[in-house]
Amino acid sequence: MTRLTDDIIIRAVARIMIPFIQLYALYVIMHGHHSPGGGFQGGVILGASFILYLITHGLEEARARMSELKAGIFSASGLLIYSGIGLLCLILGSNFLNYGSLSLILKVIPAQARSLGILGVEIGVGITVMAVMFSIFFDISTGGIIPEDKEIKEENG
Amino acid sequence: MGLFFLVLLCLYRGVFGPGVLNRVAAISAIGTKTLVILLIMGYIYQRVDMFVDISMVYALLNFIGTITVAKYLEMSGEI
Repeated sequence: MTRLTDDIIIRAVARIMIPFIQLYALYVIMHGHHSPGGGFQGGVILGASFILYLITHGLEEARARMSELKAGIFSASGLLIYSGIGLLCLILGSNFLNYGSLSLILKVIPAQARSLGILGVEIGVGITVMAVMFSIFFDISTGGIIPEDKEIKEENG
Repeated sequence: MGLFFLVLLCLYRGVFGPGVLNRVAAISAIGTKTLVILLIMGYIYQRVDMFVDISMVYALLNFIGTITVAKYLEMSGEI
């Protein structure tokens, strides 16, 4: 599942399509409160673009772009953005994720603060979903065994 | 209504079709027809701008799913 494809057509099509997929994913995340979509759906599309890269370009190139360590860091940092905004609202003296109180920091009216706050939360959710989807696909497709690790283990013993 | 009939024909090919390739092609065709049905639904409900987003995601996941299945079949030596 993770070796390099032989077909040049699939590689070329994927290389052309991946930027547009990611741009569309960002649109879905940003435009989530006017149209269907939001953090989770945009994150799924963003993760699908990385999965497409892993399928078409093989394991080594995909690990250079997005390794499992980076996926773990991204998932944790997305959750940190989400809960950080929630805790910021809590510190400012209102309920958890009550974005209206962010207007004290952002110097805008509460309605704009709500819009910006929910955008930040959706960005955090999108990053987490993208990293977790990629990580799940990575683990399933390699079976938890990465070829480099196997070679190192064979050399050692 | 013709599209629903065509989806049923593709579903028959997907369930009883001889071989794996026929099934993959049938499922991909069902995905494409679902996209058109979604757009027509958007036209009926007067909200095409929302249904275009959904149908684009549907087409995208259909494409990635077909490539993944094809690569899996190639790796497992079925073809």
